[in-house]
Amino acid sequence: MAPRRSVAGALVGPATLAVVLGLLVPLAILFRYSLNRFVPGRLMVEALTAENYVKFFTDPYYVAVLLRTLRVSGICMVLCLVLGFPLAYALARTGSRWKSVLVMLVVLPLFVGNAVRAAGWMVMFGSRGLLNTLLGVVGLIDRPLQLMYTEGAVIVGITAINMPFMVLTLESVIEGIDPAIEDAAASLGARPLQVFRRVILPLALPGVLAGTILVFILGMNAYATPILLGGPRFQMMGPLVYGQFAGLNNWPFGAALSFVLMTATLSLSAVSNLWIQRRYRR
Amino acid sequence: MNKSNDFTRRRFVKGLAVAGVATLGRPGRGTAAEKMVLGTWGGDYSKLLTQNVETPILAPKGIEVVHDIAGDPQRRAKLVAEQRLPRGTTDLQALSAAGSREMFNAGVLEPIDYTKIASAPHLLAPMKTPFSVGHIYSGQVILYNPAMISPAPTSYNDLWDSRHAGKVGVIDIQYVGMLEAATLISGGNMENFEPGKAKLMELRKLNFKMYPTNEAMAQALKTGEVGMCVMWKARGVMWQNAGVPVQAVAPKEGVVLYVSDFVIPKNAPNKAAAYAYLDAMLAPSAQIGFAETMGYNPTVSNAKVPDAVARRIGFTKDEQARLLSPNYDYIAKNDSQLKEWWDKIFKA
Repeated sequence: MAPRRSVAGALVGPATLAVVLGLLVPLAILFRYSLNRFVPGRLMVEALTAENYVKFFTDPYYVAVLLRTLRVSGICMVLCLVLGFPLAYALARTGSRWKSVLVMLVVLPLFVGNAVRAAGWMVMFGSRGLLNTLLGVVGLIDRPLQLMYTEGAVIVGITAINMPFMVLTLESVIEGIDPAIEDAAASLGARPLQVFRRVILPLALPGVLAGTILVFILGMNAYATPILLGGPRFQMMGPLVYGQFAGLNNWPFGAALSFVLMTATLSLSAVSNLWIQRRYRR
Repeated sequence: MNKSNDFTRRRFVKGLAVAGVATLGRPGRGTAAEKMVLGTWGGDYSKLLTQNVETPILAPKGIEVVHDIAGDPQRRAKLVAEQRLPRGTTDLQALSAAGSREMFNAGVLEPIDYTKIASAPHLLAPMKTPFSVGHIYSGQVILYNPAMISPAPTSYNDLWDSRHAGKVGVIDIQYVGMLEAATLISGGNMENFEPGKAKLMELRKLNFKMYPTNEAMAQALKTGEVGMCVMWKARGVMWQNAGVPVQAVAPKEGVVLYVSDFVIPKNAPNKAAAYAYLDAMLAPSAQIGFAETMGYNPTVSNAKVPDAVARRIGFTKDEQARLLSPNYDYIAKNDSQLKEWWDKIFKA
């Protein structure tokens, strides 16, 4: 027994080392940076101060950016769930020989980078883009609508990018639910909505949790879509962190922003996870 | 057996000697002394350095140049981060004049020894500093589409004219340029942009449009979304070449200079090659190449740009009298707070 354990321990070792060296050590360095002080021209000065965190939480501008990021990520998460669940259910239950092709179609957008996809949306949303042209041709508008550089454009873009993650996660879980259980519920008089609410949803809960957390985290850390579709006046946390590091060379404040973003994302994911599990366990 | 062994040993020693002489006798190409690393922007700038400086002038001298490509802020961060190392990773850096001043203040730059640059006597006076050598320059002008803005603007005040409401474009990353423009018409100067902030807030009432990048502005000018903006003249020339219908006007309040500098880090491993590069980039052929392709003016007096090009990229005597040099110390010290104001107040 003991040799087997030591072999298992040795096998876990490389992955653990990779995580420690590739994630935990950089995070520790970043946290230390967040306690330093920024002096223009000198990059950062060694210090042990919480002023970067104080600056963030006492400035309504930065708090508003965090709240906006939470709102956009939350809306995208709900949209992915609501729109993705029926699609995942249909994919899981279809007996078509084209099923693998359909799954590939869901995954296909992931083959294209975020920036390229956002560029496609830019063509669609531009003042002389496809959408405005079509609306103009059918006579619904007489002047172009401002679609680009809006929160709506960012939500559409992030939802489209994150949707495959939700659909694939849900589909694999729904496939594991025996269809006979749904038939049994129906034969006992449950209406389709009741079957969904009382049978399918609770059984698919692990997939819902995994999918929503995945999509929420991706939304919180979105970078290319808010920049390209949101424009210069729309700020989310990802571009804000990048701007501090790469634009202003303010590493201490950029590091503090990273930790605020990471803490908010992880704690909200953990809290929602616990809340949903408790609610449906009853 | 012994004879055979002796013969082999002799042949081996002879072979070594021949190989050694051959190596010593070869030109220095490929040896550590002839390799250098240049920190630069990517895209056209990097490509044109290769085309105009490295391939025709440095390669025949046996100097091989490797480009370390990144944005200006990232390379400045790298210079500061490497300052404690005895040997840095770059021999030469291309920075904006504001960036090179900031690095000088941070104490990471080598003083320039102009006696090591043969072309130095031809350098225009404003392009020489104790720590940087100007490579190319342009000036900040008003670009406008004559079909949308008539009569032609003459002053930065024209951007604030209510007749042009909704036709003015602002580029997010050019916040310093916009602050300079606003400052020049509101009683400020190159050492104090504070009066410009209030003036910029007035622009908000005129429904200006903001674009994230220079390229997005070019697109907006091309499609007629906006008809006027503040930009470097050189960039205007490039846009004209790309079919964007704009003309350039040097505002009467002054033409703020933009200089692209080269600096040598204190811990550059190959300073001799860095000086060779500085001399090569000032060669008339290299300077004319940049003028014709990128629309920037030569920083040396002996580079004669064709008249047709000079008319498009240069400045008349009258305009040259209005050239204004930014106060780079002020910008270096205030960049962070100016950007914060721009993001939090102006863009809000």
